[in-house]
Amino acid sequence: MTTSERAPDPLLEVRDLRVTFREGTDQQVEAVDGISFEVHPGEVLAIVGESGSGKSITAHSVLGLLPPLATVAGSIRLRRRTSGRPEELIGLSSGAMRRIRGAEVAMIFQEPSTALNPVYTIGWQIKEALRAHSRVSGRTARDMVVEILRRVGIPEPEKRVGYYPHQFSGGQRQRIVIAMALIQNPDLIIADEPTTALDVTVQAEILDLLRAHRDEAGTAIVLITHNMGVVADLADRMVVMYQGCVVETGPVSEVFEQPQHPYTRNLLAAVPRVGVQSAREPVAAPDRIAVEGRDVVIEYPAGFRRASFRAVNSVSFRIAAGEVLGLVGESGSGKTSLGRAVAGLNPISSGSLVALGQELKGISRGKLRSSRKDVGFVFQDPATSFNPRIRLFDCLAEPFIVNNSTERPQLRQAVNELFDLVHLPRSFAERFPHELSGGQRQRVGIARAIALRPSLIIADEPTSALDVSVQAQILTLFTELQDELNYACLFITHDLAVVDMLAHRTAVMRRGEIVEQGATREVLLHPQHEYTQQLIGSLPVPDPAVQRDRSSRRQAVTS
Amino acid sequence: MLTFILKRIVNGIAVVIAASVLVFALVSLAGDPLASMLSSPGASPQTVAQYRQTLHLDDPIMVRYLSWVGGILHGDLGKSYSGQSVNSMIFSGLGTTLKMVIPAAVFGLVGAVFLGVVGALKRNTAVDHLISALSYALYAIPVFVLAILLKGYIAVPLNNAFGATVLYTIGDSTPGVPPSLSDQVRHAILPVFALAVYSMGPWSRYQRAAMIEVMSSEYIKVARAKGLGRARVVIVHGLRNALIPIVTIAGADFAVIVGGAVVTETVFGWQGMGRVLVDALTGPVSPDVYVVQGWIMVVAIFVVAVNILVDLMYGVLDPRVRR
Repeated sequence: MTTSERAPDPLLEVRDLRVTFREGTDQQVEAVDGISFEVHPGEVLAIVGESGSGKSITAHSVLGLLPPLATVAGSIRLRRRTSGRPEELIGLSSGAMRRIRGAEVAMIFQEPSTALNPVYTIGWQIKEALRAHSRVSGRTARDMVVEILRRVGIPEPEKRVGYYPHQFSGGQRQRIVIAMALIQNPDLIIADEPTTALDVTVQAEILDLLRAHRDEAGTAIVLITHNMGVVADLADRMVVMYQGCVVETGPVSEVFEQPQHPYTRNLLAAVPRVGVQSAREPVAAPDRIAVEGRDVVIEYPAGFRRASFRAVNSVSFRIAAGEVLGLVGESGSGKTSLGRAVAGLNPISSGSLVALGQELKGISRGKLRSSRKDVGFVFQDPATSFNPRIRLFDCLAEPFIVNNSTERPQLRQAVNELFDLVHLPRSFAERFPHELSGGQRQRVGIARAIALRPSLIIADEPTSALDVSVQAQILTLFTELQDELNYACLFITHDLAVVDMLAHRTAVMRRGEIVEQGATREVLLHPQHEYTQQLIGSLPVPDPAVQRDRSSRRQAVTS
Repeated sequence: MLTFILKRIVNGIAVVIAASVLVFALVSLAGDPLASMLSSPGASPQTVAQYRQTLHLDDPIMVRYLSWVGGILHGDLGKSYSGQSVNSMIFSGLGTTLKMVIPAAVFGLVGAVFLGVVGALKRNTAVDHLISALSYALYAIPVFVLAILLKGYIAVPLNNAFGATVLYTIGDSTPGVPPSLSDQVRHAILPVFALAVYSMGPWSRYQRAAMIEVMSSEYIKVARAKGLGRARVVIVHGLRNALIPIVTIAGADFAVIVGGAVVTETVFGWQGMGRVLVDALTGPVSPDVYVVQGWIMVVAIFVVAVNILVDLMYGVLDPRVRR
């Protein structure tokens, strides 16, 4: 069912919506600044924007789920199921709003690990949603819950209905959250970043599930996302938000084809794409090897009520001096364990791991410490990897002081150079971490890692917490610095497109093993292992025509 | 889950054994309890020596320890210097004390949960600030000060106003009168109130913090988005989760309540555990070694048992802990 033809009366009509937050005593912050859009029955509307654009707040305001500090003005009209006539939702009594929630408009949230109440079984929670609005006998309710679990693809639903949330994987939990929304058969589902916390292969399955439901039940979906690939995969029309305003609206194919607003153009240009970037060629005949692992095994020993766990299972790889090795894998594949081992932060259980000429197996603390200055580490989340009470000057001066490498008077000079290298104003030295944006903070994170000009950098998902446009800038900076300082790098990521942009060679990890490695171009364009093919196939590309074709082919293969 | 319970019990037994060694060492090695007797004019050295023999105080320390522990294993805490059974002394005191501790713990917990939840839901309003101020005030007042204030400013004016004893301020029941519930309640109101309020202050702060955290979690938003009523969201989804931390804290604080009860008993003249300990430490032959040791051991076993119980409760409250 396609809905490019405009139905005369929309299901949801938002007019001139304004949301302001009270901050402090008399400060007002405009989060949403007079936006308008509509959703037609059976349509998938994507609201796209980066963090802080107001897209989530817009979604929450429809169901009146904003915190009490928020003031909502304008108009949100929903065509009611009972009367068939549009009704204003702003200013609705809490009782009347409650009857709409779940029954007519349901919501799916971003973080499946926290969206389910940990102390109740999933069957109980889905049943609760069912019974919030309708009288259903216990027996029927149970049957309906089992049926809906089966429909969203939970194996053995008769048994699993009595399980608790922590007994499911992240992807399964998101299916359960979706089941909770579907069981009341709403007219509209608002999905707030439903796949952001999930691996690409799981993301593809969840998108298929939503699409199948729309096709079968004709439910309209509002899809809040920052991922252009997801938009291309699922949405019919899209609304692009920037700083609380709608900058562009239109059918997905048109907006992707001919973006009108400069912001939309930037956003689309910033999306990393697999196989489009000129992947960097590996060093042909490396003269020196920076890191060499042979049959590396990393095992976490058994603990209190916990069996021992083998995170990395007999992995061999090498990184030449001055080369970037992209290490790709989904959560739990062991890529972070391996990265930490190369940095000397995790001991290895067996095999051999030589980093910068130093065998790390059974290395003494003292030796490890002296070799640390040649290894830099960039962390995933710039928001938490800085001490909030230390000014950035002290933060960046610390590596020099610890290693006694620079005389005190020259410290200022050394820190200034670092700020120049990562293209930040020198005046930032006097700031605290919270006074910077996420992207600026990650620049400082990189500056800290390269402070001592190490010959090896380990970067663990350094851009996964950032918006796409910021991510693109950071990756460019990273490539630039790598060319200039010529360090070897182990770049850990779940995103194939990121690897495409900066890795000379790529290794794909799955369940503790490297299933494929080689020149990035080869791995991405001619993947040999089935899992790599699956990963590349699951990655939604930001091109509606191509992506629809891909997802229908993928469904044909998997079904 | 079963191995978890077994592990906790084995752990508890180890703690009790360690406590017995420590208690015995500290009390028995503290000094010669008969030293004061030796210097008193009425006692000849022979009498004291004979006394020492009957009390087995001349045996080697290991022998004394083992015979004491052996007694405990048979449920016998030994005899006091005056020849009374330590068992009966402690268990009659324990019965009296529990009449104060159990209702105080229950009321303290209920009150703390109520204050904490209201404070969290009305966060940063006048109500919340008032509750916070009250909690800190209660936290800051020592329990004996509160007990004395209650006596002087509540019980005495109230009794004067009615011209009769509405609230008793001494003892746990009226002597010579057949025991009745109303008599016991009228004796218990003030001490239980003092003791309950004593733990309510800190507990309500924990409860408020736990509730605020739970109410800001995503599953609360999900519960609201499902179309559940506010009361159901707050109680079934919010409070149910916010009770998990407070149970742990209340269990860990059990020893503190017993400590508070010892002080409160003294103010209100109850013949409970506090009295037993004070008598054993200040009597004519003091310290009365077996009474003091027995007392500490009973309290230690109690605290360990309550903590195991709390761990089991935790398993009931939080399915993630079960295996």
